[in-house]
Order: sequence, then C-alpha cells, then structure tokens
Amino acid sequence: MRANFPKLGSKLGYGALLALTVIYSVFPIYWMINTSFREPSTIYTAIEFFPSAFTWENFSTLLELTDYPTWFANSVIVALGTVAVTIVLSVLIAYAVTRLQFRGKTLVIGTMLYAYMFPPLLLAIPLATLFVRIGLSDTLLSLVISHTTLALPLGVWLLWGFFKQIPHDVEEAAMVDGCSRLRAFVLVVLPLTLPGIVTVAIFAFLLSWTDYVFALVMVSSDVNKTLPVGLDTMVGLYELRWGELMAGSTLIALPLFVMFTFLSRFFIRGLAAGAVKG
Amino acid sequence: MPSDRIIYIIFFLALGLTALLVLYPAYYALELSFQHRESLISEPEWVWFQNYARVLAMPDFWAALGRGVIFAGLTILLQIVLGIGFALLLAREFPGMPVIRGIAVLPYLLPTVVVALTFRWMLDGSVGIFSKAAQLLGYDYLPWGDDPYMAMITVILISVWIWTPFVTLTCLAGLQSIPEDIYEAARIDGAGPWQRFWHITLPQLRSVLLVVLLLRAIWMFNKFDIVWLMTRGGPQQATEQLPIFSYRQAFEMYDVGAGAAVSAISFVILSVLILIYFRLFPLDRKD
Repeated sequence: MRANFPKLGSKLGYGALLALTVIYSVFPIYWMINTSFREPSTIYTAIEFFPSAFTWENFSTLLELTDYPTWFANSVIVALGTVAVTIVLSVLIAYAVTRLQFRGKTLVIGTMLYAYMFPPLLLAIPLATLFVRIGLSDTLLSLVISHTTLALPLGVWLLWGFFKQIPHDVEEAAMVDGCSRLRAFVLVVLPLTLPGIVTVAIFAFLLSWTDYVFALVMVSSDVNKTLPVGLDTMVGLYELRWGELMAGSTLIALPLFVMFTFLSRFFIRGLAAGAVKG
Repeated sequence: MPSDRIIYIIFFLALGLTALLVLYPAYYALELSFQHRESLISEPEWVWFQNYARVLAMPDFWAALGRGVIFAGLTILLQIVLGIGFALLLAREFPGMPVIRGIAVLPYLLPTVVVALTFRWMLDGSVGIFSKAAQLLGYDYLPWGDDPYMAMITVILISVWIWTPFVTLTCLAGLQSIPEDIYEAARIDGAGPWQRFWHITLPQLRSVLLVVLLLRAIWMFNKFDIVWLMTRGGPQQATEQLPIFSYRQAFEMYDVGAGAAVSAISFVILSVLILIYFRLFPLDRKD
C-alpha cells in the first residue's frame, strides 16, 4: 500500500500548518508581554525572545509616574455604566417585542439592525456636538451615553434571539397559576435568558473597554481619559518608552484574556452571532 | 391586571429612551450636515445641500473614497481567504483543539490601541523585531511610515491580523454543520480533497459566507481606529479613507457640517451597496 507515506506526510504538514497558525496568532501578544517584563535599558540594544533580566520596573514606572491608574478607573466606571444601562434597556425591549402585543414590532427590530451599521463617525460627530451644546462634553457620562448608543442595537438584537427561543407556555403556566406578568418575567423568563444576558454584558463591556474613537472625540482632559486614548497619548509624551507602553498594553488586554478564559462559551456564541462591531 | 399596565409603561419608557439614544444622534447628524456653523458652539445657519456640494467638489473626498475601496476590498479578500483556511485547519477534532481555537481568536479580542502599539513597537525604526528581521535580509530599515504603498500595505495586513478570527469562527460553525455523509459519499465516488472543497465545502458555506462578506464589508468600509492609530491617515494622506477624512473635516478643520456630510454620504453609499447585494444574493431567511 502506498497510502501510508502520503498519510504520514499530510499529518506532518497538517501539524506544521497548525503550529504556524498558533505562532501567527499569538506572537505579537507574546512579544508585548515579553517586552513589558524586560529591563528598560536592554530593550533598545538587543532582541530577546525571553527576558534575560525579568523585572516589574516598567509596570511600577507606569503606575507611579503616569495617569494610568486614573485612566484604568475611568475605563472601569464607563464600561460598568454601559453594561448596566445596555442590559436594562435591551432586556425590556427584547421582552416587549417577543411578548407584548403592539404595532411596529418588526420596525423596532429592523431599526436596530440598521442602527448596527451606522458608521462610528456618523454617531460620533453629532454626539460630540450635542455634548458640547448641553455642557456634557469631556465627562465620563458622555462616554457612557455614547457607548450605550453603540451597544444597544447589538444587545436588543442578541436578546431578541434568546427571548424568541423561550416557549411562551412556561410563563403562561406561571401566569395561570396566579403570577402577575411582572413576577412571571422576573421569576421565570429572566433566569431562562441569563446566558443571553451574560453574552450581552460581555459584549457591552468589550465594546466600551476597547473603544478608541468615541473616547478620542468626547474627552479632552487627562483626568477623564479612558485607557485606549490615554495610552495612545503617552506615545507622544514619552517617545520610545516601549517598556512602559507594552506594560500598559498588557494591563489593558489582561482583563479581556481573563474573561475569555472563564467565559469563552459566551464569547464564542456571541462572536458567532456577529456580536462585535469591528 | 394592574401590573400589566406597569409593564407597558416601563416598556414604552424604555422604547422612548432607546429611540432617543439610537436614532436621535443619526437624525442630528443629518441636521448638522445641512447646517453651517463657524464653531461647535456658534449658531447654525441652514445651508441645505451646500455642504454636500462642497464636499463632493473636493478632490480629497474622491481620493479618500478610492483608498477606502482599496483598503476595504483587500482586507476583506485576505480575511475571507485566510479565515476559510484557518477554519478548515481548526475544524478537526482532537484533544487540545479547543485551546488552539481559543488562541486563534485572541487577536480579535485585543483593543485596537493595544494592537497598534504592539505593531508599532515591532516595526520600530532600528530595534523593533520586524526591523531587525529586515536588517538580516539586507534592508536598512522598514519604511512603513514614510512610503505611501508600504503604509497602506502595513495597515491592511494588521487589519487582516485583527479581524480574520471573526471569519474563522463563523466559518468553523458553518463547517461543523455540514453532514459528514456528504463527504463520505463524495469520497466513495472518487472525489479528491480539492474537488470536495470546491463542490461540497464552499457551496455548503455559501449562506455563512454571504453574511460574513456583508458584515466585513460594512465594518471595514467604516474602519477608523486602526488606520488612525497606525498612520493618522499619512504619510501625505496615503492611508486616508472616508472615516479619517470625515474626522479631519469635523475635528481638525472644525467644519462639522462637512464632516457630518461626509459620514452621511458614506452611509448612503453603503446602504445602496447593501440593497444591491441583497438583490443579487438574497439571504435565506429562516425566521
């Protein structure tokens, strides 16, 4: 049989391609983490695939001498605010569209899909102008509002899919048994749609945490910056301080990696549903 | 029941707030595009289509549109080809595969600013690892920030790195839903790997790919952050596409009307293209 040799060859070839895929995907990330732990003085003199002198120096400089901790806190506040508002509103809308009787349901869902493809600047320009006019510009609240504007269509769309799948009989049975609609909603429907709500929470968080465009346009003072814009302004201030910049990048990416490790099920489901604008 | 009335009231409040958040900015963008104002806070003057006429008369607008088409077209093509390839590689099942799939998704999760800074570090003048590699190959330095073509290629390749996992994941889900017996039957009929790919895999992925192509096109055409973070649209506007042109009109020239008009025009272009796309390839609606 001559089938054995090509089989071994194709197995090796497959393994090699798989290894290449992994290296391709992970190398820049590895390089970022690697750089963040290197001795600042050696960064510009040599290429090291592993830090020869492992140090926390870049991190301590970053946290002690820059506004990084403030930006981190701002990012957390804005992201949590966005998640809270997005979940409340999208749960209500998705529930109403699947359960209540009123005209224009398809219009609501259709509008959400349409809003999903608005160019970021089509929203950023009017929002920035609006915030200047009503005195909200350069505040964290303006960022929460902008990020909610981005995340809502996605949240409604995702949750609509979840609410549709839950048979009406379950809550109708509860309502026949004397539960009010409100109680049936809280006690029966919400627990069943929890996976959907978690998915929306993750993506609202991701959207807010990684947003650069809106933060760039809305916020100008250093104390109100979020991580992405703050870190980018550091490039100009500390030219070529790549150790600190990579430490800062690692710290932005870390929460996402931790979330991804523990909640990958929700991530994959959301991603497959097209749940990231990007 | 009284609680029914409460839930209707809560719902209509939520709907009103959502409409305000989602639709009002778009409406206001339209309003801004019909107005002229000296600055963000000065009183507006209605000029109707003058902003549009002015923008359409700018050579820079058409240049930016052309670059946007090149940028979006090439990134989408590369993402789809690579994404299908990765999905085929990752579709096999064996222990450890879920971890490898997770790793392949990582670029998509990173904030754009992290990707941009990391690649700028790797491409850095003389000490970045890509620059060192180029030196080994005999080039003095990588002119990615100075050379118009290199800048565009760099931005395209980095965009492909970030956003391919979306295609990979959706295709992977599509591949896993293809029944194994179709392949079995084809194998018995003597079809080779290429024939199986062309005549089974691709047609079976058709509906997935149509949606992926649509979503990628929308997002790549609107892409602002990665280009801005890498090149600020430079060198000499070589990577300036419509979103960057629109940003610069609104926030560097303080011409909000023109900026809003550019965004509105690119949205109209996109909407028309999507309508044509749906006419050409009607998606199978299952709901």
